[in-house]
Amino acid sequence: MELRGSVALLTGGSKGLGRATALALAREGAALALCARGPGELERVAADAKELGAEALTVVADLRSERDIERLVVLTLDRFGRVDILMNNASELGPTPLPFLADYVPSAFDDVLRVNLVAPFRLTQSLIGGMLQRGRGVIMNVSSDVSVTGYPGWGAYAVSKAALDGLTRTWAAELEGTGVRIHAVDPGDMDTAMHRAAAPEDDPAGLLDPATSARAFIRVVQDDSLPSGRMRGPDLLAAG
Amino acid sequence: MTVLAAQELPAHLRASLPPELRGIRRDRVRLLVVDRGAGRVEHRRFDDLLTLLGPGDLLVVNSSRTLPAAVPAVRANGTRVQLRACVRRNDSWDVLSVGIEAPHANLPLTPGETLRAGGAPLGRVVGRRIDIPFLWRIDLAPGTGINTIASLGEPIRYSYVPTPVALDRYQTVYATRPGSAEPPSAGRPFSWELLLALGDRGVGLADVVLHTGLSSYQDDEFDLEHRLYEEWFEVDDEAVAQVARARRVVAVGTTVVRALETAGESGPLRAARGWTDLRISPTTAIRHADAMITGLHEPQASHWELLEAFVDAPLLRRAYDEARERGYLWHEFGDAMLIL
Repeated sequence: MELRGSVALLTGGSKGLGRATALALAREGAALALCARGPGELERVAADAKELGAEALTVVADLRSERDIERLVVLTLDRFGRVDILMNNASELGPTPLPFLADYVPSAFDDVLRVNLVAPFRLTQSLIGGMLQRGRGVIMNVSSDVSVTGYPGWGAYAVSKAALDGLTRTWAAELEGTGVRIHAVDPGDMDTAMHRAAAPEDDPAGLLDPATSARAFIRVVQDDSLPSGRMRGPDLLAAG
Repeated sequence: MTVLAAQELPAHLRASLPPELRGIRRDRVRLLVVDRGAGRVEHRRFDDLLTLLGPGDLLVVNSSRTLPAAVPAVRANGTRVQLRACVRRNDSWDVLSVGIEAPHANLPLTPGETLRAGGAPLGRVVGRRIDIPFLWRIDLAPGTGINTIASLGEPIRYSYVPTPVALDRYQTVYATRPGSAEPPSAGRPFSWELLLALGDRGVGLADVVLHTGLSSYQDDEFDLEHRLYEEWFEVDDEAVAQVARARRVVAVGTTVVRALETAGESGPLRAARGWTDLRISPTTAIRHADAMITGLHEPQASHWELLEAFVDAPLLRRAYDEARERGYLWHEFGDAMLIL
């Protein structure tokens, strides 16, 4: 998809991979709708995007709330009229230090699924109508290697990402031939606040810079020959 | 024609819940087919459109998204009111001001008073509209507007829907342009599964926008006058080109007919956007739609007048009589009608 002139909605747009991808999209000429739970860092990302020449809308929203999800959709469509690219990036890690499932607080489990699984479903459902109508759109769900491999302590997060992969697969089958692509992209282990919270013992030197991972997401948007489905960011970057 | 009084419609024919909550998929409601050429009325299911439409047909839908337009507010004297925002401009709304509880009777505002919503100033009441005195103009405070509606509002609901229904149940599957006060519901039965299957059969899909206003001013006497006020519409170049290529244009809803006929009022269909208060009467020549899908509604004059521009009164009356006899359901969550 041509990025110049397109409209992208990114959740979790204030830091880490969301921030890096937002700025990369801004550099390529896309207009941005960015949401996060708090205004401070979000406004700074929007200011940086505007300096790069992009239009940027910010919406403070809690994706656990159905009303906030609809408000995000309404404000975005009211401003831009359409969304061409949806990046479901916002992720809730759950309690830290990471507890065993046997020790998991049930309400925390519920919150993780709401943000990481239900919100992407609702946002996609709300925005896909316009994409199908135009026969054009890219949806990217940020996945993780914990969706395919079980690690102790990753509890609800791992479950939510595995389910997000499943959601992506079903949607991919239903969208075949429509011109709308949907991908679950595992960005690889990145040096982000979330990774530090989850695995404080990891050496940052061995982790990817989110700006590097963001390049894989830009590639996913731009390359219309990519089939819908799950992919790994590092593989995309290695393939050039 | 003899217009049935609203109260003649038995309560059990008013759809009080969306079909999905009655155990029926949205695309499997009943479809009353009125074939003008054959003078015939048939009883089908909505997804039979797969055989009723074919290559060269173009569905034109209204992609307006319904807002939760009933906003709770507090008057300067502390009274709580529900504001039904209908005509929305960047810095002002025209609203109906009603009580917060059923039957939501009109509650007059006072020019000059400041209203609050969600604990923050909402705006200042300017005064009544002259043409529709139930509507109040409010100059909005900075930072309000659509964000306030999205943050605080609920869908406008009438008495035949006794319990609150979530906003997403009101939306059509292609609702992408926020702005309607009430759902443009003729296209509600479409699912994407059906639309994509129709696309595979060569049926085209185009969209226009018409943001609907209110269907009632909560005043029976005034409602009978059926006064129209301005509604925002958009018909873009792509829709114009698609209509030009179509063998048969199927307008999905009276809002689409009004948008197309406004954009093409002076002859050929042209891209246009703006406010319309076009009234279509039985003698209006419909120039830009060949067929129509609509819901079944109370015989409000404006809706019936538009239908009569499509269908001769005796055939329309027969269709509605059969629908009543066979228990078709009325209103936004009800069954559908196709006029060919």
